[in-house]
Amino acid sequence: MGAVTDDEVIRKRLLIDGDGAGDDRRINVLLKSFTKWCNSPGTPEEGFTQYQRMLGILAQCESSMGKTLMVYDMNLREMENYEKIYTNIEQNITSAHDKIAECKKEIQRAKRIRKNRQEYDALAKVIQQHPDRHETLKQLEALDKELMQLSHIKENVDAKLELRKKQFHVLLSTIQELQQTLENDEKSDNDDSQESPFLSVLFCKFSFGSTVFSKQHFKPSILHYVVL
Amino acid sequence: LLRYCPPLCMFIMSVCVLQLLHMSVFSQSFSPCGRYLAAGNNYGEIALFSLSAALSPDATVQSQKPVLTFTAHEGPVFTLISSDCHLLSAGNGEISAWSWTELIKKVTVSLNTQQPGKQHDLIIPEINAMIINPRDNSLVVGGGDNNVHILDLEHGVFKSVLQGHSDYIHCVSVREREADILSGSEDGAVRIWDSRMDQSVHCIEVYKYESCARPQYGKWISCVTTDSDWMLCGGGPSLSLWHLRSLSPTSIFPLTGCQRQAAFHQDMILAVGDGPFVSHCLLGGEVKAQIPCTPQSLNTLQLNTNSTEHRVLTAGGSSDHIEVFTNLSYRAFSLSF
Repeated sequence: MGAVTDDEVIRKRLLIDGDGAGDDRRINVLLKSFTKWCNSPGTPEEGFTQYQRMLGILAQCESSMGKTLMVYDMNLREMENYEKIYTNIEQNITSAHDKIAECKKEIQRAKRIRKNRQEYDALAKVIQQHPDRHETLKQLEALDKELMQLSHIKENVDAKLELRKKQFHVLLSTIQELQQTLENDEKSDNDDSQESPFLSVLFCKFSFGSTVFSKQHFKPSILHYVVL
Repeated sequence: LLRYCPPLCMFIMSVCVLQLLHMSVFSQSFSPCGRYLAAGNNYGEIALFSLSAALSPDATVQSQKPVLTFTAHEGPVFTLISSDCHLLSAGNGEISAWSWTELIKKVTVSLNTQQPGKQHDLIIPEINAMIINPRDNSLVVGGGDNNVHILDLEHGVFKSVLQGHSDYIHCVSVREREADILSGSEDGAVRIWDSRMDQSVHCIEVYKYESCARPQYGKWISCVTTDSDWMLCGGGPSLSLWHLRSLSPTSIFPLTGCQRQAAFHQDMILAVGDGPFVSHCLLGGEVKAQIPCTPQSLNTLQLNTNSTEHRVLTAGGSSDHIEVFTNLSYRAFSLSF
């Protein structure tokens, strides 16, 4: 049963699809009709129509062949186009890679520059806190001048002091001498006469002067006269 | 076990959870190849994270976990630093060296352990900060005994001791061009030492400057970092930028809280401390941005300069999470212990 149906199926398939599909079938049909037409005993009109039909089929075959040729050309050209685009993109990729590397280097440089600038700023901030060098120099000069002036004044004062000291020394030594002479005189005529009040006033004045300016020449005898 | 002893396993799990809750990350260091991050916490553990796995496009939650965790010290790991092929860690008094290649292969055998100071002291002071001086390949160590010790990395012996501080040292830094060592201490002074003469060249008492001082926080200096000509220091006093040639403060940064680590990055200053953010500041003294993070306060900040494809900033603090920033403007993800 299966074998019979198989045979039937095969026969049916061969009958239907025996020629193949599409263009192949057309060529096979053409070939078969051509051989049939060559061997057919029919009328010339039938033969002519058959001949026309065959020409039509042939034209169909030719047109489909032309179409496939054109499609083939088109595919070839598309392929070329794609190749071109492919190489173009490859180049772009490599150039982009290069640009990225360049930019990375640039960024490193820029970061270094920024770091240097920031260090500079930080140091500048610290330096700004210190006063300007010119100003400090000027201040120093002014102070020097003042110092010199003051030392001049000091020298002058010292010289004056020395001079006064010497003058007073001269005065005091004269006073001492006079005192001595007066004492001697007093001693010599102490028995005869009293001291005059004028002399005692003079002694008081001299003794005041001497106590103010030279304590080291202070004699106990003077104290007596001061008390008087 | 899970089925038959539920209270026990719950207890173990809660202990683990509690441990994670109380974890603080104190230190970080990137590997010389730049692909791994080592982080030290307060339990003495060091965890190794693979950055290439965490940063790859198909990263999972598992790639944000450590590839290796091991106990390096008994006490907290306060400081980590990487030399060309070794990871140096220090905690309570001892410095251990680990080879990076061995660590990447997950072999955790310490190469060498050193103790600064006199060997017969009963009290071994903790080590708070270490830095490598590339000029003479030496390790500068500052710690609890108020001194800065210098260890020669080639021979593994301590070369000299810099004495001068009157309280323990929080942080050290190296000035590359001038062969100077800077140390910041609890006594409020930043001392500049000449590494060739082993003497203190300058002593800056930051808290005595009115513009920086914040007496409500104290006078301790917890972070010092230098750019050869400029120095950043902060802690109790405000974070301030100093010009080292003239020893004068040029800018004060108006950040609340105490800053624990600061760094120069291109034309900016990055600072972390109290507060759940990383502060970006300009050299002029203004705070440009504060990028939020998960931990409530941050202790350490590191930039990965060893690798070009894993250029990240990582910050860790009082949490078991370490924040990773691929773009400085926002937090990308977190690595967790």
